[in-house]
Amino acid sequence: MKKTILTIALAFIWISFAKAIDPAYEAAMQKQILAMNSIPNLESAQEVTNGFLRIAEAKNEEWLPLYYAAYNQTMAAFRFDVNKDNYFDQALELVQKAENIAPNNSEITALKGFVLMGKLSLDPASRGQSLSPEIMQIYGKAINLDRENPRALTLMAQMELGMAQFFGSGPEKACGMARMALDLYKKEEAKINEDYILPTWGKSQSEEVLKNCK
Amino acid sequence: MKTKAILFIYFLLLNSNAFGQTELHGKVLDEKGLGLPGVNIFIKGSFDGASSTIDGTFKLTTTEKDFQILVFQFLGFKTKELAVTLTEKTQEIPTITLTEEITEMNAVTISAGAMEASDESKSVILRPLDIVTTPSAMGDIMGAFQTLPGTSTVGNDGRLFVRGGDATEVGIYIDGMRVGNAYGTTTGNVPTRTRFNPNLFKGTFFSTGGYSAEYGQALSSALALNTKDLSIRSQGDLSLMTVGGGYSHTLANEKQSITASANYFNLGPYQGLIKQEIEFEAAPNSWDLELAAQKKLGKNSLLKVMARTESGGMSLWQPLPGTDKKVLVDLKNDYSFAQANWRTLTKNKWTLFAGVSYSKNHDKIAYDSLLIERRNEILHLKGTAIKDISDRLSAKFGVEHFMHPYSETLVKEGLVRNYNDRESYLFTEWDFYLNKNLVFRGGLRAGTSSLSRENWIDPRFSVAYQLNEKGKLSFAAGRFHQLPIENFRVLNIDLQNSESNHLILNYLFSKDGLTFRAETFYKSYDQLVTFEGLPDAPEKLTNGGSGFAKGIDFFFRDRQSIKNTDYWITYSYVDSKRRFNQFQSRVQPSFAPKHNLSIVVKHFMVPLKSQIGASFAFNDGYTYTNPNLDQAEMNSKTKSFQNLSLSWSYLPKPNLIIHLACTNVLGRDNVFGYTFSPKTNAQGIFESIPQGQVAPRFLFLGIFLTLSKDKTANNLNNL
Repeated sequence: MKKTILTIALAFIWISFAKAIDPAYEAAMQKQILAMNSIPNLESAQEVTNGFLRIAEAKNEEWLPLYYAAYNQTMAAFRFDVNKDNYFDQALELVQKAENIAPNNSEITALKGFVLMGKLSLDPASRGQSLSPEIMQIYGKAINLDRENPRALTLMAQMELGMAQFFGSGPEKACGMARMALDLYKKEEAKINEDYILPTWGKSQSEEVLKNCK
Repeated sequence: MKTKAILFIYFLLLNSNAFGQTELHGKVLDEKGLGLPGVNIFIKGSFDGASSTIDGTFKLTTTEKDFQILVFQFLGFKTKELAVTLTEKTQEIPTITLTEEITEMNAVTISAGAMEASDESKSVILRPLDIVTTPSAMGDIMGAFQTLPGTSTVGNDGRLFVRGGDATEVGIYIDGMRVGNAYGTTTGNVPTRTRFNPNLFKGTFFSTGGYSAEYGQALSSALALNTKDLSIRSQGDLSLMTVGGGYSHTLANEKQSITASANYFNLGPYQGLIKQEIEFEAAPNSWDLELAAQKKLGKNSLLKVMARTESGGMSLWQPLPGTDKKVLVDLKNDYSFAQANWRTLTKNKWTLFAGVSYSKNHDKIAYDSLLIERRNEILHLKGTAIKDISDRLSAKFGVEHFMHPYSETLVKEGLVRNYNDRESYLFTEWDFYLNKNLVFRGGLRAGTSSLSRENWIDPRFSVAYQLNEKGKLSFAAGRFHQLPIENFRVLNIDLQNSESNHLILNYLFSKDGLTFRAETFYKSYDQLVTFEGLPDAPEKLTNGGSGFAKGIDFFFRDRQSIKNTDYWITYSYVDSKRRFNQFQSRVQPSFAPKHNLSIVVKHFMVPLKSQIGASFAFNDGYTYTNPNLDQAEMNSKTKSFQNLSLSWSYLPKPNLIIHLACTNVLGRDNVFGYTFSPKTNAQGIFESIPQGQVAPRFLFLGIFLTLSKDKTANNLNNL
């Protein structure tokens, strides 16, 4: 009898402990991430965003589903013919929600800059004044929060490259950052297995920057 | 690994008695009854869900059982929840209609009379950047607004004239707080400028009529300037110009920022090189010190403080018509402005605002041997509360109090005349959205003045209707009151409010990079101040005048058709007649030319890293009274006003701008009116002197450098 009680008690301890690595959550995330990596059209982009939002609703202590929903919404705005400003604004709202759950997170901060870069690209002539310094500052913050985050460096490199091209100065600074980012991507790749659900995107963007380097 | 195994068993056991799946079918519609694709439909608290397809139908498979909540969620729409009992293998869900949420993003806004300059605004009329890059503006806020519909350029004045109203009919506000003497004091046909640097502001709201009940004491127009929020980084800004120089330093962190700046201007060296039409004894000169600070107090609360003090003056010889005599006019001005305001969003969704502003102006004018001093002070206290009762209804309440002492002194004679007015206001404004395409706004503003001993109430009303995705129609009507200007009131403290009624119909078409705006208006004037004698020495002032202004204006802006090019064209027609000041009959005021045209073109040349700009302004001339012609008032009109200005901004490095600009490149000899001698000469003719320009052209060269430890600092910031 005692043994049974102990087993049950242990089982409960296991279960409450296991909440932190809820396999149902991980499985649901993996399914959506897989779907996200092969989006053919706007409808399926919306489906994937919805999928992440459902996970976010059910697991309201996790920042990652909100992060991916925002990222996916941003990519949809870049790829498809939609009201881009609306999509970016929605993405910003989701980023804000993620930030409320996990403040001072390097990945969320970098994504915020990425969304704002999308907004900037819609009207650089008038938005550049306020947005470009803000984006630079956000990327700077993201790099400082986690020096191992390759996305923060990649995005900063893109910004630097744009500036260098505009002012006709050399791309050395951007190139250095992109190279550092590629090294970090290599490190990251070593950690990736089929259970890995943290962000991994951005490598091709870094390689794109490097094409401008000798 | 072991954890997972145990959990697997645990889940297996938990679900073993309910292993079947339920399939839900249904359809989601929007308010128009059309299928809504992309809606997120899920069982609350589970990962089971689906998205609606292109026709709004959905199919959801779930392993959940029994009593569950089905959620219908879509960004921009109100979320709906439906209680379901899951029993069968397939279940039909009744059709669900989602209603669109009315937000700032999708709701129609009222654009009658209103022109907003911000980066956020959906309909682009003016961007904050345009103020500094419009060639004719020379970095002056009012200069940029003079290229907008409903305004007229009065080149020897420099202030903003709106739709047949004189310049004092424009109320100027910073963060909602009244600014007294917003323009520099000037004399003898030297145009004035706004005292405030455009870089202080993140956006402006300019209304040419029918504006909100929040604004009073302005018959024609409200101009609201909104100061910047927190600065994002520490930096220094150095400017070197042909007319002076300055330095400004900003210290910033995530919670607060402070900017201190100092400037000195002196047109002396410039005027020494380039000949002026006006004979200056001392060229216009001034210095100013300014402090602006912002502090975050908690999550949803911001405190802004700004203080400025400046001193300036000029001295010039003014010719007298009919003689070769000249009079020395010497002007000295001291001015201070300070304001603090606090804004917060409370937990129960009230937006609260409290502010205080204080303006103090002191003019010392020597006209020949006459010495006059004028002191004007305005203290403004204001509190507002806004409550969004639902996404369709919001209410605003406000209370204001003004203390307004004014005095004029004849220094040598030791004569003083003064008054001290206290004004109080209450206002409320309600916005009601019938749907996202139709909004009604109603407002009431009540005021009382201790000096004129009168109470008044102004109703305001507007409505906007979104015709289709790109076009909208707005209508506004309202009553407006304004007390006469200080130097009239001091002569007769019983003067009452002047009154104006506005009717405005507006059509706005906007799509990406393209804006077209047409607006027609009718405005009545009553109780305008009239007097006997000349404007320099008015006597027997009464509220005996009246008049009207009506017209139509058009605005077209295109930022997309030509690569790297942005241009806008404005035409305003104003037909205004009023009996005011010394006039015995209704006349077309000198400051209200009938036909007004303005064209601004900016082109960015990427290989040259330069922006070149051109602006052209035209009007058909200013009325004046020619006593040589007949006895009629305002019986003549000057030749047309024309001004072509060019500018070139060069960005060699991210933190350096070189800006070159020239007004009236063609050197047209513009005349704004004539001063006639009071007596005829030997031939029986009243001799006259034209009121012309300070110089045919004004040339400006400036170098602006940003210094920052942060390597990303760049001057695109200030361009």
